[in-house]
Amino acid sequence: MIQKLFLFFLLFMNLCCTSQKAKVDDTVVLFLDANIPHLDPIHSTNKYSSTVISNIFEGLYHYHYLKRPITLEPSLAEGEPQISPDGKTYTIQLKKGVFFQDDPAFPNGKGRELKAEDFIYSWRRLADPMNKAMGWWVLDGLIVGLNEWRNDLRAGKANYQTPIKGLSAPHSHTLVIQLTRPSFQFLHFLAMPVTMVVAQEVVEKYGQEIANHPIGTGPYRLEHWDRNSEVRLIKNKNFREVFYPSEGSAEDEKRGLLSHKGQRLPLSEKITVKVITERQPLWLSFLKGQVDHGVVPTDNFDQVFENNQLKKEFVDKGIRVLEQYRPDVTMIAFNMEHPLLGKNKKLRLAFAHALNSDLILEKFYNRRGIVAQGPLPPLLDGYDPDYKNNLDFNLEKARQLLKEAGYPDGKDLPVFDFELSNNATWSRQMGELLKDLWGQVGIQIRLVINTWPQFDQKLKNKQATLFEMAWSADYPDSENFLQLFYSKNVSPGSNNSNFINRDYDQLYEKALQLPPSPERTLLYKKMVDFINNEVPTLFLVHRIYRLPYHSWLENYNEHPIIYDFYRYLKVNTQIKEKNWSQL
Amino acid sequence: MKRYFLRRFLYTFPTLFGVSLVLFFIFNGIGGDPAYQLAGKNASLEQIENLRQQLGTHQSLLHQYKDFLWQTVTLDWGQSWYFKENINSMLLKGLGPSLALTVPSFFFTLLLALSVALSFSYFRSEKSHSLLTWFCLSLMSVSFLTFIIVFQYLFAFKWGLFPINGWSQDFPFVLSFLLLPWFISIIVSVGPDILIYRTLFQEEINKDYVKTAQAKGLLTTQILYKHILKNSMLPILSLLLSRIPQLLLGSLLLESFFGIPGLGGIMIQALQNADFPMVKAITMMSSLVYILLNLLADLLFLLFDPRVELK
Repeated sequence: MIQKLFLFFLLFMNLCCTSQKAKVDDTVVLFLDANIPHLDPIHSTNKYSSTVISNIFEGLYHYHYLKRPITLEPSLAEGEPQISPDGKTYTIQLKKGVFFQDDPAFPNGKGRELKAEDFIYSWRRLADPMNKAMGWWVLDGLIVGLNEWRNDLRAGKANYQTPIKGLSAPHSHTLVIQLTRPSFQFLHFLAMPVTMVVAQEVVEKYGQEIANHPIGTGPYRLEHWDRNSEVRLIKNKNFREVFYPSEGSAEDEKRGLLSHKGQRLPLSEKITVKVITERQPLWLSFLKGQVDHGVVPTDNFDQVFENNQLKKEFVDKGIRVLEQYRPDVTMIAFNMEHPLLGKNKKLRLAFAHALNSDLILEKFYNRRGIVAQGPLPPLLDGYDPDYKNNLDFNLEKARQLLKEAGYPDGKDLPVFDFELSNNATWSRQMGELLKDLWGQVGIQIRLVINTWPQFDQKLKNKQATLFEMAWSADYPDSENFLQLFYSKNVSPGSNNSNFINRDYDQLYEKALQLPPSPERTLLYKKMVDFINNEVPTLFLVHRIYRLPYHSWLENYNEHPIIYDFYRYLKVNTQIKEKNWSQL
Repeated sequence: MKRYFLRRFLYTFPTLFGVSLVLFFIFNGIGGDPAYQLAGKNASLEQIENLRQQLGTHQSLLHQYKDFLWQTVTLDWGQSWYFKENINSMLLKGLGPSLALTVPSFFFTLLLALSVALSFSYFRSEKSHSLLTWFCLSLMSVSFLTFIIVFQYLFAFKWGLFPINGWSQDFPFVLSFLLLPWFISIIVSVGPDILIYRTLFQEEINKDYVKTAQAKGLLTTQILYKHILKNSMLPILSLLLSRIPQLLLGSLLLESFFGIPGLGGIMIQALQNADFPMVKAITMMSSLVYILLNLLADLLFLLFDPRVELK
């Protein structure tokens, strides 16, 4: 009996060890550090769904993989749109010979050719109130007749055949879009996952289960999806001829990012995306070579980097680091409707001068970032690396301002509730640090821990007084950050500090009318100054990505806005075989 | 007896009603307005109001509660607000991995804890008892998370005996992903179980019938398994049955560290994203299972102890 048990144990151990000896093959193995809720473009407002969706579906435009600043280029569109002189009518020709992936939803299971009508259908889905699409804000109020159609559909007075004035397809491959106002952000919207194209037949076949049956025109199709565990993608055989970009910077050339220029995409047959939500297994999997890229856990940072450089032992193993600015900003916002904080600018300034952003950068980000001087992150239009606001860390100044605000040493000043967006240790420690910093000048705060739904509700109901928040670019235009202070966007919109200022609105509205130009850049800079002068929000940090990857993963250049990068990745099996033994 | 079970079965309804009431008011009290969550970041007041109408959250609490009860009766929870997928189908998909993770470790733990406790109770010596107590308390004083982190590092990363993380639909390949989580789960649960079972067995061993059996010359194994184990089964059964609903929900920590696509992860995401239909479905189903298992426990009491009378 004992012998049998021992044999059984050996068999099990063999099974385990076999699994460890993963074959060195050319499958690209990536990770996502949160679960993917669904794979339906109209709801893809989170990074995790958006990443997978953007490699299965496509939009009219997308971003060039290498050009910086980020540059739009046609994807399913044949070229640049024809824009009418008033900037309101866009005529876009679609590429011919683009086919949906094969699926039983199509006759004989063969994917049919893409037509302009497919985009109209897809955007109707986005507008359809029954779909409760989280991405509706992108087209809300922008296309002539679309909001009216949405309202009529809700009232039962319209259906999917009812014409929409602003959306038409005069020919099978021509799409005409009429906007309610000129929008220089519109082309960015056409590159976002929420506007990507779906086929009506597929939506109708799968009904409520459509979020699990993504069928697009993109380079990959879904082979398998274990929710919370793994997504496997395989090359879409119907994918048209698309080639690796041949333009890039000298730095790109040096990093080998142009070594596949002109080659047909996608470069890899298979992509596996592992969902690993915890930092330890992700880091260990990376070190073992079981995922091709990773994240260094904050606690391991000193083991991996020395003087901000990757330590030699990791370099020798063939590990490299990709460093990129994230187009984001972390902030502390005041609710400007608060009777005290909203009206007493000197009080807000006292908060600002008692805030040590440099310390926060060091303690909470391992100096992976830069202290923010305004809402605009690096690489976006209007960002000036030499610009400094006047809100430097100066406790004496803060005390003086507090006195001028009518609260010397914080006397008679109420205790403010500081709303934390979650119960994570990181968040609580940040709250404690702020409490100490402000406490030094006599400003008292009380930390209020919320669940995310509670926090979100407080913001949208204007119930939060003082709160942490962060904003990441939805699209690479500074307008996406500056709209956070536009009066028409007050809560429940994205202007959660509820800042209302007619002069600022005028600047914002003027900038909206302008194409990218020095004049618009100047306006953006003025608006940044305006915000820093009024201090409805205190800006903390623009974060920097520092992503380790194995040198066998070729062309790795992940960017927080470019989601459709899987097509460019390739595993160099020779390097992998060589490095594998050292891991 | 039939009347007893019928009555107990009928008790299920007020209990479920109570659970539903508590759940409903907790969720509506602290869960946040789901319309805000689902409307996205740039929603207008009008959109939020429209969304409330579609979700039915604009209606009175009484009306919403009635709808909730009807869903419970029909077991039709509809579509998840967050995952955009049919809830019953998601639960079915998540149940397999959850059970694969929890059920084998549950039985291994049971077997191990019973054997160790029985052996140590019968062949008692002060030294061995102290050693066992020390061993069990040591296991109990280390947190679950520490076991996961240390074992994953040592067994999977350092020594390469198991995969670090992952899942497979293929049997027996999937076992390679489950062995380490099972092992950790057993190590964590076995300590307290041994101590509880040992106390129960010791009570039995000191009874006269054991001495009589020994005097009659019965084999040790007969005394242990036929008499002591059987007579100690009632409290053990109640303990085990009370744990079964937890098996359905899996283990959030093990699932997230080892990439197991079970119900624990789904439940947490549903809570974080105000996905009330999913939270309702999982909570009500677990409550139902819990109540039915209690009923089963009563039935098993009858089988194990003829002295028990059901009134």
